[in-house]
Formats: sequence, C-alpha cells, structure tokens
Amino acid sequence: MNGAKAMMNEEALGWVIRTRDPEFADWEAFTAWLEADPAHAPAYDALMAADADLVRIIPAEPVVIAAPANDAGTRGWRWPRSLIGGGAVAAALVATLSIGMWNRSDIYTVTTRPGETRTVALDEGTHIELNGGTTMRFDRHDARFAALDSGEAAFTVRHDPADPFRVTVGNALFEDAGTVFNIVRTGTATRIGVSEGEVIYNPKAEAIALPAGRALTDDENGLRVMDIATDAVASWRQGRLSYANAPVTQISADIARSLGVRLTATPGAGAMRFTGTIRLDRDPARFFGQAAPLMGLSAVREGDGWLLKEGDGPPR
Amino acid sequence: MATGLSAIFLNNRPALLRFLRARGAGDESEDLLQDMWMKLEEKDLGPIADPLPYLYRMANNLMLDRYRSATRRERREQDWAEGAGGVMADPSEDIAVDERLVLNERLEEARAVLRSLGPRVEMVFRRFRLEGVGQRLIAEELGVSLTTVEKDLQKAYRAMIALKQKLDTE
Repeated sequence: MNGAKAMMNEEALGWVIRTRDPEFADWEAFTAWLEADPAHAPAYDALMAADADLVRIIPAEPVVIAAPANDAGTRGWRWPRSLIGGGAVAAALVATLSIGMWNRSDIYTVTTRPGETRTVALDEGTHIELNGGTTMRFDRHDARFAALDSGEAAFTVRHDPADPFRVTVGNALFEDAGTVFNIVRTGTATRIGVSEGEVIYNPKAEAIALPAGRALTDDENGLRVMDIATDAVASWRQGRLSYANAPVTQISADIARSLGVRLTATPGAGAMRFTGTIRLDRDPARFFGQAAPLMGLSAVREGDGWLLKEGDGPPR
Repeated sequence: MATGLSAIFLNNRPALLRFLRARGAGDESEDLLQDMWMKLEEKDLGPIADPLPYLYRMANNLMLDRYRSATRRERREQDWAEGAGGVMADPSEDIAVDERLVLNERLEEARAVLRSLGPRVEMVFRRFRLEGVGQRLIAEELGVSLTTVEKDLQKAYRAMIALKQKLDTE
C-alpha cells in the first residue's frame, strides 16, 4: 500500500470511530473531509463494512475464561470495580443495533451458540458460566439478578444474606444461600443441581430448601427432589456429563447443547435411562463411537445431525 | 412526525443534500432525501434531543445500507458465476459443525489479538464497539483523558480490522 493511500485509510478509520460515537455531532467537518477527495467516501464505506463485520469475530465476554475443560482462568484480569455489573456484555443485543440508533435499556441478553461457552462476571465473587445453546438475561443495574430463558448455566454466587442472588427460570424463582449450582431449562422443564451451599426454590411459595447434593426437577411429571453427586453438578465445565438414572431424552439435549450437534433420539431410545459419566469430545464421530455404546445405544449420522437408537449393532 | 424535526429537515435540506453528494450518492442524492422525508413522515418520532445530528446519521445509515446491499449483490452474483449456489448463510442458527469449528477458531484468534493489546485497550474497545458507549463517557469511567481513549480505540480497531482482513483472505 502506498503512503497516500495508507494515510487516507488512517483518516477514514478516524472518521469511522468518530461517527460511530453516539455523541458525534460534527457532520459538517465530516462532509468537508468527504468533499476533499472522491476516494474518501469509498474508503470510509469499506471500513464501516469491516467494522460491521467485527461483531462476528469479537468474543463477547466481559472477563476472561473461555471455560472449557482445564482452563483455570489464571490469566484473568479484573475489570475495574466501577464497571462490574454495569459493564458486562450486551453480546446478543449488538447484532440487532443499527449503527447510531442505540436503544439502551437496563436488561441485556447474552446468548451462546450450541457448543460455545461463555462466562459472565456480575460482581466480585459472582460469575455465571453459560453452556452452549443458552440464552440469559441480566440487569445492568442489579448484579444480583439473572434470568435463564433456555439452556444451561452454572452459577457461582457470592452470598449476601441482606441481598440474596435470585435466578428466575420460567415462573420459578431460585434464591441462593451461599452457593454453587447448575440450572438447565429445556422447553418448560427445569432441572437444578446444587454442589455447594444451599438454594431455595420459590421462597415465597413452596420454599423448598436444596442443600448441596440435592437436585430438583420440575417438568410435566411435576416437582421432584432427589440426590445428586456434588461433583456431577455442572460437570460439563470439566468436559463430562454425569447422570444417575436420567432419561436419554434429557441426556441427548445436554449433549446437543454442550457439543453443538443436532441430536435426536428414537422414542425407544429416548425412554431409556442411564447412570454413569460421559466424557465430552469435540469430535462428534469419536464421541458417539464411545458414548452411545456406554448408554446401550447406537448413534448414526442423520442429515447434518445424529440419531440415537436402540441396540448396539453396526449403523445401517 | 414531530413538527420540530420536519422544520429542521427543511431548514437543513441543502446541507443534507451536500452531505449525501459528498458521501457518494451522486444523482440519487435528491431521491435519497425524498426517502428520508417519507421515513420521517411514516414514523411518529417522539421529541429528539439533537435533531440535526439525528438527520445526518439517518442519511449516513442510508448510505451504509446502500453500500452493504451493493457489495452483497456483487458477492452473490460472483457466487452464482462460480456455481456455488446463491444462498446466503444465516449466521444465527444451525450452522454446520465445520463452520462452527472455524468460527470458534476465529473467536479464539480474536480473543488473543484483543488480549495482546492490554486490558485497558480491550476494555475501551468492548465498551465502545459492543456496548455502544461514547468515548467521553468511557474516559470518565476510567479516569483517563479523551485522547487516551481515542488512541486506544485506534489501536484496537487497527488490530481488529487487520485480523478481519487476514481471516477474509484465508
């Protein structure tokens, strides 16, 4: 690139940044720059288009931790206190904002694609890890609130008896009592497992206390409370899924979310139950080759996804 | 439409026209202004704090949309010519596994680039680009000068656009 062109692009970049600022007002100066050379407008357009594409490659997470398997987040740096809570991500909102027409509200949405994980820090000592295929909402002005609309998230919560952390899931409310817990929301069914501390389910209604090692399921069969191994709670963060007598329909939803594959189960396979631990593997063929026999099932490719079916015979 | 805004539109019509011409709209500048006028008439906009910058921004967005649809058309025609079908992938849903892996790799790469710029630059960039916070406000939040924020943004943008161009040519 020759010097003059590089200089022009530098200037154009300056105008991209300036005009992108919601407070930008000096349009006359911008007009004058554009008029100075007919090549200025195309240079500006090209950089604005590049800018618009950036949202697709910017990993939208406020803190660090990509959070797969063994990432302890040691390289983490903290956001200044003043930004925590107010300054978390508005990841999913971004795509829908048209340039310059910001429509800010206190509530923002964070969405992960299937197979993608993300960590949102709400305050010192409180962070939420979103598994793949998950949609959550947060409040910029209330770091003690979160809503899980669909998918799965692990909550590590700083306990404050005066200001408990609350998660709404559908019509249900979970209130922490000093806690690490995991919630899954699929359709209208909700599952929660508690690995540390205690969570209260619907404190104003049923008020069911769930200490560490207890899990609650609320689905079309009603409300059930059961035991769960504490190290099985949110084990997707360590790259494994642990179950005690769980239906295969539930397991396949967990797999689809964690690996980002489309997965269905035949009615017969879906009705089966499984106890044990499945190790997640990013390579779907290798994963199903190991996981399906473990569940007494077989997995076959079907279109762009996979099908779990009964029997462990060779795929037909 | 708020009468205030229409009055401002009419008063500044020459300046807006001049802007559209400078922006490269050429002979279509008049038509674009007409489009803007129709849009303003359709929408029942409430009072707007800074009406003139609002109108300029609207004109600028029109030009950006035009540019985007023109390049998209070009790309589509090229795809067809190359026999690749003409289907534009919708990035939001159900992307194939391979594509997702590529996407994850790109996110990783972008993450590394952002991190290499240092925490303040990364934060300034995220605040500005992802959350739409203005430079003045960011400077206040961080207790640094406006110039520092501007420089941070230029640095981040340069790196990110260079990365994007690299990814596009891969």
